Amino acid sequence: MTDEQRRERNFLADTGAVLKGMATVFKQTFRPDDTEEYPKVIAEIPERAHTGRHRLNRHDNGLEKCIGCELCAFACPADAIWVEGEDNDPEHPTSPGERYAKDYQINYLRCIMCGLCVEACPTRALTLTSYFEMAYTSREDAILTKEQLLEPPPELGTTPGAKEGL
Amino acid sequence: MTLAIDGKEVTVPAGTLIIRAAEQLGIEIPRFCDHPLLRPAGACRQCYVRIEGQPKLATSCTVPVAAGMSVQTQASDDEVADAQRANLEFLLLNHPLDCPICDRGGECPLQDQALAYGPGDSRFREAKRVFKKPIPLSPLVALDRERCVLCARCTRFCDEISGDRFLELYARGAGERVAIAAGEDFRSPFSGNTVQICPVGALTSVPYRFAARPFDLTYGDSVCPHCSAGCNLRVDLRRGDVVRHLARDEYEVNDAWLCDKGRYAFRFPDSSERVTTPLIRDHGLEPASFGEVLTSIAGWVDRGRVGVLTGGRLMDEDYYALSKLARTVFRTNDLDHRRDHGAGFVEGAIAGGGMPVTYRNVEEAKVILVAGLDAEQEVPILHLRLRKAAERGARIVVLHPRRTRLWDVAEHIPCRPGDEAWLLEKEEGRHRPEIESVATAMREAGDAGIVIAGPRLADHPQAVDRARTFASDAGGRFAYVTRRANDRGALVAGVHPWLLPNGRSSIDEDRAEVESVWGPLDIPDRGRDWRGILEAAANREIDVLFLIGVDPLRDYPDAALARRALENVPRKVVQSLELASLARYADAFLPAAAFLEKEGHVTTWEGRGQRLQRVRDPLGMSRPDWEIFASLALACGGDLGFETLDELHEEMGTLLAPRATRHLAVADTGAAPTPVEDGELLLFTYPLLVNDGRLSEGADELKAALADPPFVEIHPNNAGTAGVADGSDVRVTTAAGEATLPARVTEHVSEGSLFVPFDQAGFAANTLLQGRFSIAATIDPVDAPADEDPVEVGAGGAA
Ligand code: SF4
Ligand code: SF4
Ligand code: SF4
Ligand code: SF4
Ligand code: FES
Repeated sequence: MTDEQRRERNFLADTGAVLKGMATVFKQTFRPDDTEEYPKVIAEIPERAHTGRHRLNRHDNGLEKCIGCELCAFACPADAIWVEGEDNDPEHPTSPGERYAKDYQINYLRCIMCGLCVEACPTRALTLTSYFEMAYTSREDAILTKEQLLEPPPELGTTPGAKEGL
Repeated sequence: MTLAIDGKEVTVPAGTLIIRAAEQLGIEIPRFCDHPLLRPAGACRQCYVRIEGQPKLATSCTVPVAAGMSVQTQASDDEVADAQRANLEFLLLNHPLDCPICDRGGECPLQDQALAYGPGDSRFREAKRVFKKPIPLSPLVALDRERCVLCARCTRFCDEISGDRFLELYARGAGERVAIAAGEDFRSPFSGNTVQICPVGALTSVPYRFAARPFDLTYGDSVCPHCSAGCNLRVDLRRGDVVRHLARDEYEVNDAWLCDKGRYAFRFPDSSERVTTPLIRDHGLEPASFGEVLTSIAGWVDRGRVGVLTGGRLMDEDYYALSKLARTVFRTNDLDHRRDHGAGFVEGAIAGGGMPVTYRNVEEAKVILVAGLDAEQEVPILHLRLRKAAERGARIVVLHPRRTRLWDVAEHIPCRPGDEAWLLEKEEGRHRPEIESVATAMREAGDAGIVIAGPRLADHPQAVDRARTFASDAGGRFAYVTRRANDRGALVAGVHPWLLPNGRSSIDEDRAEVESVWGPLDIPDRGRDWRGILEAAANREIDVLFLIGVDPLRDYPDAALARRALENVPRKVVQSLELASLARYADAFLPAAAFLEKEGHVTTWEGRGQRLQRVRDPLGMSRPDWEIFASLALACGGDLGFETLDELHEEMGTLLAPRATRHLAVADTGAAPTPVEDGELLLFTYPLLVNDGRLSEGADELKAALADPPFVEIHPNNAGTAGVADGSDVRVTTAAGEATLPARVTEHVSEGSLFVPFDQAGFAANTLLQGRFSIAATIDPVDAPADEDPVEVGAGGAA
């Protein structure tokens, strides 16, 4: 085979490859779109996807389930939880029994969403929700207080950060 | 005696319990009620072992070893393991399993042993026994009876160790529980020990309640800063704040105990009063850098005469640096750490005399004369050792103007304050039959006879010496016990107007020895003592007064003189944790580190040096005292010659090495006892354990549990003459001032004398004093309306 012939064959092969690649691009360009339109559209989250912000729960009578035992803090591999216990006021208890959490904080700059704290909690006071919009503009904001954690997380897409993302 | 446990041989002394022998082999047998310092009880039944040849399992904590015995533990015998497992299931039948809210959770012997040896499950499905959740036994200790395993450690501690028998096991069967008499408070200064030895969370400390979990804590080994007993303790911090003190086992010193002050007065280093920046007086006291403040002080020192006063709570290293600073840089001997006569002219011999009496000696003594010491209130752990000695059969005689808490185990010889010196004196007093009998017993006991001289004797310039002679005449041992944590260290370092380090005098070869290390000294033989320094300050014969960890207004037995001194001396330099009442007077303030922020040593009353670890960094800009002294020396153009602790230790080692002491023959100065005229009583005072001192700041639960309000104790005969009824208000008048205090009419104070505590909240006894801890006084009844404030402080005015 002469050099001339060899060059011609390579040209044909290369052109074929280019056309094949272009075809893939065209096919993908006109295929229906699979991308989540977050945050414009918020997709449905599977019911048992507990992989977001924590929540501190209450008993039906309004008392806090958390007894300030710090077991969640002990279990946490990221040292994200701070709990301080205190005596319940027998007249106006915060939780059933002797002890309640005077202070409870979770630092979401540390939390890795592993859920070990939830497993450690003896009273089911602490659970994970599926709320994941936790982008903050300061360290303080990233540390959620007991009052915040006792409230259910806001609707997805309603936090200021999420709107700015639009 | 040799026996085999799990097939391993061990040789132990006869009488050793099997459980102790197993410990020596490193074999662990689970236990709850057993405690090495308490008598065997066999209450919990957890420590079962099989003794070969015996039909039933035995409790290893109650059975002493026998020669040739062969013992199987749970490790080698399944039946033993089964029995232990069953017993744990049984102990947990009524246990509430509320570990998540229990302070013991995470460091609980019941949790740990249930995990290691327990069944893991229970067959008991019925309702558990319920008690009211924690009942307060006192403001310091709470009892949760549901958690109790009835091991009787707490009750045995009260019966056998402290003798304050408040707790008792009550009723039988499932209803059995620890109880205290209705309406009683667990008012024992050793109550916290029951919490530490309770093997479950049944007894908990109120100040530590829910404060932390074991895994929150960082901790370090330290030594109690509160008295010269030198108890070994562990400081627990949560996020840098002290939350708890625990006793460390040290069988040569505190066994496994602490008193409640050492355990619960831990908040002062974190007090809001603490100042951690250097301050200098400009318009007011303004924050400044160390450099600025030290330069100003150097300027004052350069042009002026200097006096140095300090208390007894710094470290050995601090005192050594201070002693050298005063002599080599300030060129003065005007420095003192005492507030009384100290041991008078035997101080040099005591300072250089090493450790003539140890706790161990006390424990093993046959005869002990305790003169002028209220051990329970002043050096509580020594009190426990004295009780232990009594338990072992020692004869204890207390010579004191007030009945002390040794009353149930000792003979008391009541005497008027100041008469101790006379009673121990050769010619007259010693012929009193009760003294004579002690002397005879001491002679028979040889070196198992001990004389302990306490701070009350230091009120008289010769009393300590006489007590010492009394001991040496009988061939016994002698110890001089002071109250504050490192009085002894200060004395040894030479923070003293005429003693250089290690008890050396300022003359002749003694001085030459010091000069060989420090360089030539340009100081007089004797400086002024604390009283002389205060007087000189009041007369403006001193220009700069250093107050190192001392508050003259509260600490010295002459409030009026202290006030005049502070008002008249031109410059006052305060070095301490806080300013408190000195804020008005200080011209410069140097922030010192607290005991847990320093590394170094303190010396117990025995003379034993004990090491402190640095548990946390000094707060703010505060620094260890010796570092400040070294910097100040440099600012003054001098040099102490050490920059690191190692260099300092090396130099201390040369001057403070053991050496033969010379007993200085000093003429008996013949100081008269405190003069008392007809119709007058002799008032004496000393601080009670729980008082209004600065180191008890923030210890509110401790004060609620144990602090007495101010009072005056009067003997019934004197009260009768003066027409004073128990509980009524009485006006106490002395040459220095007067005060109105509620009377306690009691035979526990010797006739002819009055006792007032030195500094209870609301009453500073030094407003009644004139330089000694005793003074002539008169009493008159006051008909105060019942609702009036019971305490008024009279002419002297409290600080
Ligand atoms: S989810 Fe995991 S990392 Fe986050 S707080 Fe709980 S234990 Fe800590
Ligand atoms: S959330 Fe649960 S584990 Fe954490 S402190 Fe409260 S009760 Fe304990
Ligand atoms: S309270 Fe504690 S120390 Fe006392 S008997 Fe019960 S378990 Fe034992
Ligand atoms: S006896 Fe003295 S050293 Fe021991 S804990 Fe009490 S105050 Fe501290
Ligand atoms: S430890 Fe032996 S019976 Fe309790």
